[in-house]
Amino acid sequence: MDTEWPRWEVIKQDVPTAPLQMVGSVHAADPEHALLVARHVFVRRPSAYALFVAPAEAFFMVTQEALREGGWEWEAPLHPEKPYQVYRKATHRRSMTYGELVGKVTAQSPVDAVKKALLELPGPFLALWVVPEEALFGAGESPEVRESWFEPAKAKVYRLQSYYGLVGRHPKEVKRG
Amino acid sequence: MVKLRIGHPEDPDYQERLEEFEARIARGEKIEPGDWMPAEYRRQLIRMISQHAHSEVVGMHPEGAWILRAPSFRRKLILLAKVQDEAGHGQYLYHAAETLGVTREEMLEALLSGRAKYSNIFNYPTLTWADVGIIGWLVDGMAIKNQTMLAQSSYGPYSRAMVRICAEETFHHKQGKEAVLLYAKGSRKQRQMVQDALNRWWWPTLMMAGPHDTDSPHTPLLLRWGIKTKTNDQIRQEFLNEHVPELLDAGLEIPDPHLRYDEKTGNWIHGPIPWDEFWKVIGGEGPMNRHRLETRRRVHEEGRWVREALEAYGRRRLAQAAD
Repeated sequence: MDTEWPRWEVIKQDVPTAPLQMVGSVHAADPEHALLVARHVFVRRPSAYALFVAPAEAFFMVTQEALREGGWEWEAPLHPEKPYQVYRKATHRRSMTYGELVGKVTAQSPVDAVKKALLELPGPFLALWVVPEEALFGAGESPEVRESWFEPAKAKVYRLQSYYGLVGRHPKEVKRG
Repeated sequence: MVKLRIGHPEDPDYQERLEEFEARIARGEKIEPGDWMPAEYRRQLIRMISQHAHSEVVGMHPEGAWILRAPSFRRKLILLAKVQDEAGHGQYLYHAAETLGVTREEMLEALLSGRAKYSNIFNYPTLTWADVGIIGWLVDGMAIKNQTMLAQSSYGPYSRAMVRICAEETFHHKQGKEAVLLYAKGSRKQRQMVQDALNRWWWPTLMMAGPHDTDSPHTPLLLRWGIKTKTNDQIRQEFLNEHVPELLDAGLEIPDPHLRYDEKTGNWIHGPIPWDEFWKVIGGEGPMNRHRLETRRRVHEEGRWVREALEAYGRRRLAQAAD
């Protein structure tokens, strides 16, 4: 068998006013590597303002169905309270992202964080992810990093559909050939 | 981490749960990892998503072959961006499959050992630069029809990967169309080149939508569970209705003597598809099957030292951090 690098969840913020969003995952050997791969996979186009990665196993996920039916709690050792980020999926609408940051809670374990999120943060939660804030590694905190990491994609307009405008006649106009 | 909940027909509550599951899909709800799902739903998804991911990855080869020979710097940039996109699309899809508890390593192993399938279209060679245009317009055009349908899929992660892919793929389609229309209006040689590319890619493109519905055993179940939302023949028809008039308008000839427009339905009706060839190519007898897999295996082997070195480096860093 072969080597499989660990998996990292990728969190992206499109513009300063947008929420952080879970966009997918990449495999990488360490956090810096994960950030580089994440940029190649998820920031090939405009726009990004910030990018974070965290080890996939640092995330704890439950769905509404699992919450309703129970059996999702697992025995996790309690640790001193620490901040968790909470991501949620709120609708069944079409989307290209997994969860969206909805707030933070302070908790002693992932299960504890889920329980607090349900009490303290706005629902509905069709699915919910919690991750200790300390597990996140980021790029984009400084303007220099933002410029070198995210600006070049904006100049590559040939990646955009609009760059080609309307090519040829519209299919309706040429229906009968 | 997420706990998967998989139902088997022998489970005492299977029937009841299956009904709830199907009702959820009928209401247009998305199934997320961690929701109850039939084992067969998971199996079909892993089969389809990984096959789809492999197609994106193998699909880089026929076009990648032309990056160094692109006729202009602009075309080279476009093609580079397109091939990078295919790599990214493979990643989105492997991730979607991983949410079902299969590892990327297992999926790659299935590809490299020849057990897993990928889209048959990539077993054909790209003989001239015009092929790059035709692939963009027609092959990606057919792919987009399929992907737009799959963006409605009942499995959340698959649908999300598809929405992201469709958003990016439309540029592939447009740049191909732009290139083909330019050649179709170009010199005699350019017109011949693009017509030749169309002649070779037409039938393989129509076959991309898959066998006719009557010969597609998985389809009814895939439709019932919302994994697919349209049949192979529906996708093929949509593709024809959009592309045939445009190709004819460009002055190109479609290599199907039976092709006709049906006034009553407003559909373009194609002649008999050479399925013998399809089954032959799927069975490994296509012009490029062996070459594609050999290339994948070789690049996988050649990259092994990089994967191992980075893994060792990552492990050492973790150990140092723990000290």
